[in-house]
Order: sequence, then C-alpha cells, then structure tokens
Amino acid sequence: MERVITINLNGNPYQLEEPAYDALRAYVGRAEAALADNPDKAEIVRDLEQAIADKCAAYLNPGKSVVSAEEMSTVIGEMGPVEAEANGDAPRGESASDDGPNKRLYRIRDGAWIAGICTGLAAYLNVDVAIVRLIAVILGFITGGWLLLIYLIAMFIIPSAQTSEEWAAAHGLPFNTQEVIERAKREYARVSEDISRDFRSSWRSQRRAWREQSHAWRRSFANWDHGGGAAAPPAKPAGYVTRVFAGIGAVAFSLITAALLIAFLLAFFTFIDTGAILGWTPPGDVPGWLVLVVIAIAYAAISAPFSALRRASYATVSGHYQGHGADGLIVLAIIVAAAWFTWAYIPEGRELLEQAFAVLAHFVTYMRNLN
Amino acid sequence: MPSADEQFAGLRKGLLEFAILAIVSGRTVYVGDILAALAPTPFTTQEGTLYPLLSKLRREELVDYQWVESGQGPPRKYYQITEKGAERLTELTEYWRRLSTTLDELQAGR
Repeated sequence: MERVITINLNGNPYQLEEPAYDALRAYVGRAEAALADNPDKAEIVRDLEQAIADKCAAYLNPGKSVVSAEEMSTVIGEMGPVEAEANGDAPRGESASDDGPNKRLYRIRDGAWIAGICTGLAAYLNVDVAIVRLIAVILGFITGGWLLLIYLIAMFIIPSAQTSEEWAAAHGLPFNTQEVIERAKREYARVSEDISRDFRSSWRSQRRAWREQSHAWRRSFANWDHGGGAAAPPAKPAGYVTRVFAGIGAVAFSLITAALLIAFLLAFFTFIDTGAILGWTPPGDVPGWLVLVVIAIAYAAISAPFSALRRASYATVSGHYQGHGADGLIVLAIIVAAAWFTWAYIPEGRELLEQAFAVLAHFVTYMRNLN
Repeated sequence: MPSADEQFAGLRKGLLEFAILAIVSGRTVYVGDILAALAPTPFTTQEGTLYPLLSKLRREELVDYQWVESGQGPPRKYYQITEKGAERLTELTEYWRRLSTTLDELQAGR
C-alpha cells in the first residue's frame, strides 16, 4: 500500500505515489542547485515544473488519478538533467571569480577575542590562532606597547569578512555557490526532520519554507558581523580596496576631529581664563559671551565636514549605516590618549592639565557672573 | 577510438544554440515544437537542457517569447527570433559555411 501525496505543480494539483514525490523533489532540488548562479532560476524552474506537469498529465485519465513511481522516473528521464550554462557568462558579482581562490586578509569576528585580527591572520597564514596570539603577546611586550597601536590601526584598515564569499576568501577557500546551497540544504534537512510529517502534504509550502530557511541562513551568515543586524539594510559591502581606504580615512578623520576638538576646548577655556585666544585679545567692546559663541560656531563649522567624512568612513568600514556612536567614542578615546601622552611626556602640557581644574573652576565662576 | 558521435559531443553542444536560432527564425514555436524538430536530428535534446539555454538566449535578447492560450491546459510560451537574433544567426551561418567549405577544400586536396 502506497501513500499518495498531493502536490501543486505550477498551479495545478497532482497526486503522486510517495516514491514518485521523492524522485520529483530530488530532481527539482538538483535543478535548483545547478541553476543557483542563474538570474532566471525561478522562471526556469517554473518552466521545468510545467513541463513535468504536462508529461504527467499524459499518464492520467478519468479512471487514473495518481502518478506512479515508474511513470515519474520515465518523465524525469525524458526531462534530462538540468545543466548549468557551460560558458557561464551570466552576470556575476565583483567577488566571484573563476581563477581559483582569491586569498585576502580579513578580520574574522567568529571566535575573535578583540577585533578578529589574530583569527584573520591565522586563517590567512593557515596556522593555529593560538600561535598567532602567543606571538602577538610576546611582540607586544618586546615592542613596549607599540604593537597595541599597530593593532588599533589595523582594526580600522583591515576589513572584516562580512559575506560568505569574503569569509571563504579569508581562508583562501574556493567559494562555490553550489557548496553553500548544499550546506544550507543539509542544515534544512536537519531542521525539517522533526516537522516533516506535517509538511509533506504540501510540497509547495515546504519549498517555500526551504527557501525562507536558506535565505534566513544566508542572511544570518552575511550579517554575523553586525550582532543582531536585523535592521541593517541588505546592502552589498564595499569592495576590499574601498574598505582599506575607508579604514585609513576613519583613522585620519578621527585624528583630525579629535585635534579640532582639543583646539576648540583649549581656545574656549584659555579665553575664559586669560581673556585671549592664542595670544589674540578681542576688542574690549565685544562681550565675552559673544566671543565664546563665535568660537563654538567656528568649531562646529570647521569640524562638521570632517565629522561627516569620519562617519562615512566608519559606515563603509563596518558595513552598516546607522551610527552606533562608536566613532564618537573613538574620538574621545584619542583625546584621552592625547591627554595621557601630554601628561606623561610634555612638562608644559602637564602644567596646563594641572591648571585644567582651576580653569574649570574659573569657568563655573564666569557662568555664575553671567547670571 | 571514440565514435564520431562521441568525438563531436562538445561540438554539437556548442552548435545547439545555432540550431535553436535556426528553428525559431521565421516561425513562432513552443518548446514542444523545438524538441520535436530536434528529435530526429543529431541535436536531439531534452527539457532539462533546453529551458536553461532558451532563458540564456532570451537574456541575450536573441529570442523573445509571448504567452499564448492553448486549447487544453495552461498558456504556453511561444518563442520567436529577435532582430538581434537574426543578425547573430546570419553571422553564425556565414562562419559555419566557411568552416564547412574549408573542410571540403582540404579533402579535395587543393
């Protein structure tokens, strides 16, 4: 006794014996895998389903409503295997190339301790990440902390692998869409085992589920760098070189905006303290608050374009476009580092910083006097 | 030694596109007609090969299709050659003639 499964082939219901259904599903699965790179995949699969439906119809009549396994195997034999185009001239993305693996240094956030530089280097050099980390720590001690600075810069300059293609390039693996699809399918097979009984009555809904599963899987794979990046637009990340330059830009613009902020703070507070800006005393009839407003506006006007460039660079580096405030925090970190450096190495600066508290107190009294 | 059929398998595959353009030029046909026209020839093929190839030809704007209601069953796609496709067919035909003439001349020992 055979179970009969009703399926929907391109809009028409057909009844199949269970082995016939399995054979058909396997055929369509192979076709989809073969056409994975084809921009017209959905349409070709629809055409193939229609052709199968037409052939099945020939076996059916008012007295016979179920397609048998032998009939399905004849139909599939007549259809022939679906071949990917031999001369794959379908439009391809920039990262796809047929010239074998394209190995590139990426940061790999998967299993990273900090930013994934060591994991990325380990994948690039094909050695264990523990060895890379050990060497990094030793070098860190030998160079007296300079490696930390290099690490921080590398964090911005080396792009992180965000798509599965880039992940494959980081490992120097050939990226093959079919392999990814196969992985997605295996994943799906595992998930669907538990629920297959309920699903089997509708082939179409199962395929839809497969597609969603595979999309979700690929989405999550593409977005794993973003944390929970569900809100991130499905934008293609910028190319490797673009992101390297964006990384250099992010560092440069962060330094510039930090320097501007320091200059602004210096000007602002030295004016309150001494009544002069960089040695220039404003005319006596200009009120002090107006000078402060002018300094603030000048700072805003000068720093705005650099801030915008900085944010754009960070967006390109990180691949997501909503500001997370990380770039601002980094500017603050640079200022704190500069303050520490001044404190430690420049005696005049140290004096200035020691006076900072007095200057702030002065500022508070100044504000009180305004009221 | 492989049979002539095996020897020219790759050649036939490459020429299939040419054969399809020849079939769709001058008349509007659906996939069943194309398969039937090719069946008695050495170019005999199957849906699994034909649909991806037709989709590629359509993407290259060498053929186009329109939906036509059929007496029984759902509407069918009827394919026809485009102007660009006709130019391509002329180009391929001329090249093929040159190959064929060359082989004839070589055989005649000239």
